[in-house]
Amino acid sequence: MAQWIPADTPIMVEVSEPMALLGPLLSPEFGKSVTTELENGKANLKLQEFQGVVAAVELQLGTDWRAGLRRLAGKGLSFCVDPSGATLLAVDGEDEKLLSKLNGIIWQFASSGADQQNQPETVASPNYRGVKTWKIGTNEVHALLGPRLVVGNRTSFLNKVLDLRADAGGKTLASSALFKAAREAVGKEAVASVFLNLQTLRETPGLKKALEEDGNPVTALLLSDTKAALRSASWFALGLYVSGDKLILRTYTDGAAPEVSKWTSFSTLPGAGAELLPPLTVPGTIASLSLYRDLHSFYAAKDALFPERTSGLIFFENMMGIFFSGIDLTEGVLSEVRPDIRVVVAKQQYDPAVGTPATQVPAFAAVLRLKEPEHFGEIVEEAWQKAIGLANFTRGQQALPGLIIDKENQDGVKYTISYYRPPADKSSGAIDARYNFRPSLARPGDYVILSSTDALARDLINAVKQAPSTPAKTSPAVNSLMEIEGPALSAILQANREPMVRKNMVDKGDSREKAESDIQMLLVALGHLDHATLTLRRDAGRPQAQLEIRFK
Amino acid sequence: MKPDPNDPAWAWAPFQPDAARPWDLRLAAHLYRRAAFGGTWPELQRALSEGPQATIDRLVHPTPGAADFNRLYDDYENAAATSAGYGSQAWWLRRMIESPQPLQEQVTLFWHNHFGISNIHVKDNASLCRHIHVLRQHGMGSVEALLDAVLAQPAVWICLGARDNGRRSLSESSVRILMEQYTLGPGHSSDSDVREGARALTGWIISQGELRFVPGEYDAAPKKILGQEGDFDRKALVRILTTHPATGHWLAQKLVRWFISDTAKPSDSLLAPLAKQLTGDGSTAKGVEMLLRSNLFFSAEAYRQKVRSPVELALGIIRPLEGRTGTVRLAADLARLGQELYEPPTIQGWAGGLAWINSLTTLGRAKLAEALLAESGAYEGKLDPAAVAKRHGRATNDGGRQFLVDLYLQGDLGAETIGALAAGPSATGSVDTRAADPRQIAARLASLPEFQLA
Repeated sequence: MAQWIPADTPIMVEVSEPMALLGPLLSPEFGKSVTTELENGKANLKLQEFQGVVAAVELQLGTDWRAGLRRLAGKGLSFCVDPSGATLLAVDGEDEKLLSKLNGIIWQFASSGADQQNQPETVASPNYRGVKTWKIGTNEVHALLGPRLVVGNRTSFLNKVLDLRADAGGKTLASSALFKAAREAVGKEAVASVFLNLQTLRETPGLKKALEEDGNPVTALLLSDTKAALRSASWFALGLYVSGDKLILRTYTDGAAPEVSKWTSFSTLPGAGAELLPPLTVPGTIASLSLYRDLHSFYAAKDALFPERTSGLIFFENMMGIFFSGIDLTEGVLSEVRPDIRVVVAKQQYDPAVGTPATQVPAFAAVLRLKEPEHFGEIVEEAWQKAIGLANFTRGQQALPGLIIDKENQDGVKYTISYYRPPADKSSGAIDARYNFRPSLARPGDYVILSSTDALARDLINAVKQAPSTPAKTSPAVNSLMEIEGPALSAILQANREPMVRKNMVDKGDSREKAESDIQMLLVALGHLDHATLTLRRDAGRPQAQLEIRFK
Repeated sequence: MKPDPNDPAWAWAPFQPDAARPWDLRLAAHLYRRAAFGGTWPELQRALSEGPQATIDRLVHPTPGAADFNRLYDDYENAAATSAGYGSQAWWLRRMIESPQPLQEQVTLFWHNHFGISNIHVKDNASLCRHIHVLRQHGMGSVEALLDAVLAQPAVWICLGARDNGRRSLSESSVRILMEQYTLGPGHSSDSDVREGARALTGWIISQGELRFVPGEYDAAPKKILGQEGDFDRKALVRILTTHPATGHWLAQKLVRWFISDTAKPSDSLLAPLAKQLTGDGSTAKGVEMLLRSNLFFSAEAYRQKVRSPVELALGIIRPLEGRTGTVRLAADLARLGQELYEPPTIQGWAGGLAWINSLTTLGRAKLAEALLAESGAYEGKLDPAAVAKRHGRATNDGGRQFLVDLYLQGDLGAETIGALAAGPSATGSVDTRAADPRQIAARLASLPEFQLA
């Protein structure tokens, strides 16, 4: 399709093998399972509507929808957006007759609708370049080109495509150097791809803002050189691959961060033998992240990375100065931390004696390693207790309940927990959101565990004791690895179903029935996710992300 | 009887339509604007066929299902109030849109403005949410019961800067507000009344976010307040204040400003009958009912004599179109226009009236109207004027223009302005190429000066 698309088209999505993606979704078993889940979850509002339309179309086409979809769209899908925002979708099938029949049904439906509304002028079928096109209302125009259906939202864009189809001499996307480079990077094995011309798109306000240096150290620490590379890139591409039971999504770009070392030194593993530690796993893990980030070299380069000192940064440094009794943050504190950083998010179990908050926030923890735990461990402990003390003082000023600090022991490791007094009155049902938090600090061996709950801290004490510090068996170029467990993610969302429904109601103004239906669709979709792995790596000096998804 | 808005006998007599003041779409819409944030087409048509007094009966008296509705929304608001952000305010806005008893919400908003309790000082959504529930629960009842319940709320004392009402920490400034702002009005209490009143409130202390009575801190010695002597505690002080004639007068004056006119300066004699409804065996419901039924309410002195607050403006766009929009975003947009629910700027509430309008808010109001009615964007095109016009058999080739004029502005728009709606740039300057688009027409109507007046 790219040979009919104008060269200045900045967004192009191509699905070369739709059945590789849609095949499993079209199986009767999958359909039955989704239908049952949607019905069980009261999401039958949209389902009934959809089923009604599908049944009517099946009857008129004389085929079931699965077979029809294969014959109409089995050869490929392309979608593109031109610089003015006009869109075009091309659907390649193998059955020209069936496509023509479908077009007849749609045309008949549109014409009778326009007549009923006394607006017959809103439907038309003009010819252009010898091709009959159909126009329905103000936002739809389409043409049949053999077994290919081309649908757009503006006649001008469709006409440009028909011009290029008629004159072989025009400049097309297929001949664009950027598009060709992106296609080559993605490779022929991709079942789908996305191409973005960043030279054009970078000027759009949304993307321009997203790529700007926002001075946020957390973003810079996590993404390393990614944003800097995209600021200098001409193109960005996504490739989608199928490998056994997995879908793999991989990013490509021609951009590299200027002054590469500034952006990469803190996230580059130091050569031979150095590899990322495996993510930690505890019961109920939702997501687990392992990062290689040298906090000392990151913060030592802060003036170069963030020339503008924001109020947030100044506040952060002031607080760190208080917590660490004036020890220099870069040379005295961060230099004591090894570059192996791990983060764990897990479902939490609530104490029945305390109650369950209406919105259940998963427990989360950071696991750091100290270079000299004997010397620096107690300094961290002192800083943490000061932080809790300060939080208590601030809450006290607002007449809010504070945290009680206590010490407990887990398998020989003494750790500090803090918690709120249980609510005096639980008769009104769900308890306050603060009961999601029982901030805890544990120091098993050379590790420091900073956890939002004591239960996760205990699980992590066990996890670091059991897991030897062996590499994650990833490529040395990988500096970030995140594992997501589908069932646990689905469970926490299911536990928060009611708050999500309510949020949808006030965010979107939907009725309760509609909000329940939308959330159920999301839960059903997520319910089929088994496992996902996200990695960030540097390939030939360029950042690359890869997402592997395995479905149930 | 000769129409004289300053004559109490005429002003408070129930409105009876006649040839000079017929019961028409204009007056039906006027009633719904003031009592229900705006009426839908079926509500206005029903009001026209039933007449003013029967319509007021329906607006004033609780409808079946109102209690269940309020319980459900209390739950929504409470849950949302445990988090930061506009969650609970968003639910209140949604309640205003959907309530089967919108007058109750209008009165709750009146009391929120009257007490001026603000989260700027309280810094606790849940506490503010409970305060608003109290205003709703007691807002239509006796003023004494309302004030008693309000003063049992920690949010009130935190906002008044009176966390510790101990024997040696009398909070006179908060009692001055209680007397001059909440009950008697200015000029009816002496320094001695304020000091003695503060003694009556001793013993009440905020601890761990809750209001607790500490008997050891209570000053049980006799007090003399507003000429009365005795061992007065908080409850007794509330009774003294709410039964004082000045309180009824002060509240009557505020209710007239809220329901009749921003600029009304009613005489004492005019206010007296209304003040009587609010004190003694009376209630806010009786007072509001008297106001709504009155000749004064349907007179030229009241008609389009109030500037719509941002909340009234937004709901005046949304409710007539029988739709809902996302209210989290709406709460934030209303805050930008100067009316952040839960955060009145001062203890006197929002200044109201012409203070709502300046060059910035005028543009902001037009932009909000455009955003609410746009096909896509922040409000996702949830309001659909064309669909409403079609539902009521008023979809025409002019994009339902006449229907929208009737729905939003009734007969208050000149033919020239109606004609001008079909062309020209939109309120925010962009060139409009879809002059017959009902969304564009509705947005333009809602941006007109006439629409800014309730």
